[in-house]
Amino acid sequence: MLVTGIKSKPVYAPLRADTGGRYHLMLGKGIGNVALMRVLRELQSAAPQALGRTRVLLIPEQTPATTAALPVPPADPPVSDARPENFAALGLEALREFSDVPSLLREFRSLLDGALMGTRLYVAGPESFIGLAMKIALEFDLNKDEIRAEELGTSARRVYCIHCRATTEDVRTNIVRCVDCGSWLLVRDHYSRRLAAYMGVMVDAEAPGELPQIKEVFV
Amino acid sequence: MSAVFKPHETFRNDFTFENSPEAIRRFPLPFVDDQYMYSVNIEPHAPGPKGSVVEFAFDVDEHYVAECRERELVLAAEPLRYQALPHMMSAQWDCLELIMESLARDYPAHFSLAKRANRWHWINKPLGIDQVFTFGDPSSLPREPLDFITRQAQGDFVVMDQREGDLWTEAGMVTTPADWSLDFDVGMTFKEWHGPVPLAHELGVFDRALKFLLNLRLGQPVRRLNWTMTVNPRLDTSPENYPKWGPDRTKVTQQNAGDLVHLRVEMQGLWRLPRSNAVMFGIRCYLISVRELSTIPKWARRVRRALKGLHPALVDYKGLTRYRDTVVEWLAPFDDGSPTTPGAAPD
Amino acid sequence: MSEAQTLEVEVTAIEQVTPLIKHFKLRPVAGESMPAFSGGSHIVVVMRTPTRVYRNPYSLLSPPHRLESYEIGVRRMDESRGGSHFMHDRVRVGTRLEIAHPVNLFALDKIARKHVLIAGGIGITPFMAHLEDLHEGRVPYELHYSVRGREHAAFLPRILQRTGERVRMYYDSEGQSIDFDGLLSHQPLGTHVYVCGPAGMIDRVAATAREWGWPDSHIHWEQFSAPPVGDAFEVFLARSKMTVHVAPDQSLLESIEAQGVEVPYLCRGGVCGFCQTRVLEVDGELIHNDHFLSDAEKAKRNTIMPCVSRARCKSLVLDL
Repeated sequence: MLVTGIKSKPVYAPLRADTGGRYHLMLGKGIGNVALMRVLRELQSAAPQALGRTRVLLIPEQTPATTAALPVPPADPPVSDARPENFAALGLEALREFSDVPSLLREFRSLLDGALMGTRLYVAGPESFIGLAMKIALEFDLNKDEIRAEELGTSARRVYCIHCRATTEDVRTNIVRCVDCGSWLLVRDHYSRRLAAYMGVMVDAEAPGELPQIKEVFV
Repeated sequence: MSAVFKPHETFRNDFTFENSPEAIRRFPLPFVDDQYMYSVNIEPHAPGPKGSVVEFAFDVDEHYVAECRERELVLAAEPLRYQALPHMMSAQWDCLELIMESLARDYPAHFSLAKRANRWHWINKPLGIDQVFTFGDPSSLPREPLDFITRQAQGDFVVMDQREGDLWTEAGMVTTPADWSLDFDVGMTFKEWHGPVPLAHELGVFDRALKFLLNLRLGQPVRRLNWTMTVNPRLDTSPENYPKWGPDRTKVTQQNAGDLVHLRVEMQGLWRLPRSNAVMFGIRCYLISVRELSTIPKWARRVRRALKGLHPALVDYKGLTRYRDTVVEWLAPFDDGSPTTPGAAPD
Repeated sequence: MSEAQTLEVEVTAIEQVTPLIKHFKLRPVAGESMPAFSGGSHIVVVMRTPTRVYRNPYSLLSPPHRLESYEIGVRRMDESRGGSHFMHDRVRVGTRLEIAHPVNLFALDKIARKHVLIAGGIGITPFMAHLEDLHEGRVPYELHYSVRGREHAAFLPRILQRTGERVRMYYDSEGQSIDFDGLLSHQPLGTHVYVCGPAGMIDRVAATAREWGWPDSHIHWEQFSAPPVGDAFEVFLARSKMTVHVAPDQSLLESIEAQGVEVPYLCRGGVCGFCQTRVLEVDGELIHNDHFLSDAEKAKRNTIMPCVSRARCKSLVLDL
């Protein structure tokens, strides 16, 4: 079975401002906030009036030490710029900080409920954060032309066990034990936007107990 | 096909499934010459030769009752093998109409459909179903329309909504998959759903297929063949149940290869649906053991050569790695090197 | 599409609903009902005269769940190449016509959270079928219907029965026009806009929506304009080995069909791309009138949409 090189795997690109949009809604987690700062500075120079129609929801990076160590494109603002007070200085329509993903996503959903056509969504941060945000965006008929996402930070995955249908969070290895049924799962690149997770299939079904080498691959 | 149903055949546990000589001869061999590679290979789903699997829109054969019973078993254990997103209801009715009208027209000895305005009366003799209902009113049926009718049809069904220049996998009944999961894939676009297929994307197969399907017309269905192999005549080779069938792959020996290993051919039909403008994908599954295949001399040679020369990526993707060589060896006595006539039909 | 796929119908009723628009009811010659269809579909009506064949697309305006007949509305076109005049002047109750199976290039998006429908003149026809589907659903919608004057508001009583206050009328003659900016600037996320009417109206809706940040995937339009006329020219069909003369008021597609060569088509209006044909040689200029090819593709001069495009050339060779 194909494990890698699967076309359903999401493809991310560095976030760029979409000046074709009228309203901008941005979600960032941790090191992803650097990407948001990049986009906001682009808007500031290309379409400064757009900042007054831009709303930003952030989860600041919790541990500054690790933040400093993560690689960031050289043209980007320095990581230290991605601090809430710098966002506040931009004259945004709204800026809110959250300490955890579920609260940010709750606010996100209620903002989408009142949002208008012409909105562009930007999401930056770990893939699992992006996936959960996209899951909500799907309910509002936002499509790929209206959403931009950049993966920054850990590429740890959410894995859907195809056997018992439980989702195991924060998976960094190629093989993982299902959090519910305990099966050893091979983590494939086949991705479901609806579930915001990658497929996990029992790795030792044909030869029970024989596990390939477990490696940390999603860092 | 003058079907005498074999209602007690099983596709699990004791695997009593087997093909009659008539079923063997009408088997849709997917190899038209000694080498196999992907292609779009679509042709009009027009009525084919009498007695063939493509004589009618939906083929009902000797395994009909047994397959429907097998489907019930899968669904009882795993209801999520049937899914339909809320906006697909008009497509569900389209599918029900298409399947009921076809079966009643083509197999009048087994099925009948009488309509008086929206009051429909459907009789399915082989399954003992007698249902009066109002077309368009889901509450008049014991289950949703797509669920109701696909429990009375052989093969899997996937319904795709057409919008934004793409096709979206948004309803289906999938109990005989070749290693893919409707539950995981529901909501995916055509190319995302086919993501795990190797090589074909690079060859542009799915780009062309999608473009073609977006322009599929009412009244002009198309079909194509796909194939894989399976150990034991197991229809439900789903990822969900991989722990059940995966180990079978290690059980093939030189002695049992002829009986254990089966060629599994999917006759895929694609229809544009009238009210929903959606596309229905029927995936009808035919199984034949290597031994049954070898009773037709041309097929024994053809299949051996096609398997021998199969691209390694395809060997892996189709799950044949553990036993392909064993099967090639098992068929060796039947292959004297003589040429095979073009086309799939027996000589 | 091949000729074998047509259905024979008989005209059972004709009504002049406005000074320019006639309403036709078509029943099947064989069988009791027409094939089921989805709102937004059109049929191509084949009209045969001793000298030429017209194939014009018309939207189905009848309710998709009432299949005893199909209903279409035909506007008499001023500079007509003949198709609409044929329908208005030569078709009577009892006339038999051939039609192709319905094709839908203008469907409602099934996961939209709201639909905004904009119709100009005869462009109301596809929306009438849509209204039947919307009537039963729970997705909010608005219909904005612009016509020259009150006597041109075709089918209004019938529309009001379905829409109630969700339709807003605009009468040119009374100085009323649609405020596209106002309309498109305050729609909730997940709204789709659909426009059917004159080219100018379609362009304005699309441009306004884009200015307000709508992505193209949420802007839907349908236009049945007659293929533009032009100078006569000759074309050589390489595979059929024949030269075809294209008259000024006949499209390239029609001229090729008149010689018995079939070209696949769906919309006949330069939108769907289905009739795209390879140009093997051209000595002169290709006049691209379609909305399908990109500018880059048009510049390559190796492909053409015969349904609406023409040429001004010494020679043109097509792969047909």
